[in-house]
Amino acid sequence: MAGDIKRTLDSIIEQRARGSATIALSTKTKLILKGLNPDRFTLTSPDDPAILSKVRAAAAELGVALHAGSVSNVH
Amino acid sequence: MSIRTGYSTRPLPEAVTELKRQAGADQPRVVMFFGSASYEAGTLSREMQRAFPDAVVVGCSTAGEISGGKMLTGSVAALFLSEDIVADAASVVVEHLHSDASVGAALRMLEDRLGSPVASWDLATTVGLVLVDGLSGAEERLMEKLGDATDLVFVGGSAGDDLQFRRTYVLQQGQCYSDAAVLLVLRLKHGFDIVKTQSFVPAGKTLVATKVDEAARTVIEFNGQPALDAYAEALGVTPGLAPSLFLQNPLGLMIEGEPFVRSPQRVDGSRIVFYCQIKEDTELELLRGTDIVSDTRMAVEACKAAAGGIRGLIDFQCILRTLQLRQENRCDEYGGIFQGIPAVGFSTYGEAYLGHMNQTSTMLLFR
Repeated sequence: MAGDIKRTLDSIIEQRARGSATIALSTKTKLILKGLNPDRFTLTSPDDPAILSKVRAAAAELGVALHAGSVSNVH
Repeated sequence: MSIRTGYSTRPLPEAVTELKRQAGADQPRVVMFFGSASYEAGTLSREMQRAFPDAVVVGCSTAGEISGGKMLTGSVAALFLSEDIVADAASVVVEHLHSDASVGAALRMLEDRLGSPVASWDLATTVGLVLVDGLSGAEERLMEKLGDATDLVFVGGSAGDDLQFRRTYVLQQGQCYSDAAVLLVLRLKHGFDIVKTQSFVPAGKTLVATKVDEAARTVIEFNGQPALDAYAEALGVTPGLAPSLFLQNPLGLMIEGEPFVRSPQRVDGSRIVFYCQIKEDTELELLRGTDIVSDTRMAVEACKAAAGGIRGLIDFQCILRTLQLRQENRCDEYGGIFQGIPAVGFSTYGEAYLGHMNQTSTMLLFR
């Protein structure tokens, strides 16, 4: 399987930003500072379980709930 | 009154009397002050609160002060914000940064004091300021927790102690704290801008932190090699010479083309200890310096022009930048950037904006 890391990071940004470009950029910055740079992954990046685990932890810290196939913001 | 600044180099309590005179006849709504380690921090905090009993009063110890277009030492500098600028303000202390610092509880206290939930705050006119114990080593965790909990922008810096590296203090409502941070939330009537400026550009060499001791702010290996060897190789010098280039060649975590600067502090065997944490597998660019004065002037002028003018600013200026300016005898030039602007600031042990960084100026500009 591939692409889950990129999809999940993009979903975190989208859900947290709720349409605000400013918050989208600050959320991306926060993810990079957590060691997860969305630009380093593509839809063909392998689903590395260790990285996916970090992404899920970041989602939880940022208050974004992840579900299979969907993401919702719990803030 | 709007925004006033002042400073004094006199001893306590005369320094506070002088600042009170500089604040003018009207009582300010908010007072921020930055004091040299030559002042006893507890007494300074108490005297400032006594002088401005109805204001929100916060501050910290410093490694140099900025006020009145001057870079100062051995002084206390202050910013006074009137009700023309601030609609509402609240401050809180986050204690025990090393153990159980509760950012959530601090934000709830701010919500109580401002009478509304964080999620409802207008992010265009509400801004957070953060002053942190500069020897806590806990800035990254604090900023990450703040960033997780809210989209409110926090900008600020780490307290200093005139390069003694013994103890730094944050000050709030007449009290004095170490291992703590002060959070100040301002609801502004005319909005704000943030400037983050650093005088570095990528030198074209990439280092990946392949092995780190994050808690110790230490990189053990870059690119799978001992950190010092890889850093020296990127610079094209011997490992013995590399530490002498730390100040001129820090590393940058590049975000949207802008470096978040990570400054090497010292060598520990073949490891490099930094002034802030570096996560494992992080890709960093080797940086080379540009001109601090002209870069900063350009950043401030660009922001002023975009905003159509500013009413004042606070500059959280890295002590490493200040040391470089002192070495180059350019402190007057740097201070001159702020001529005609009510500006205050201090030399920090680290700068804050979304995260923790080094060799940077983070600024809050009042529209």
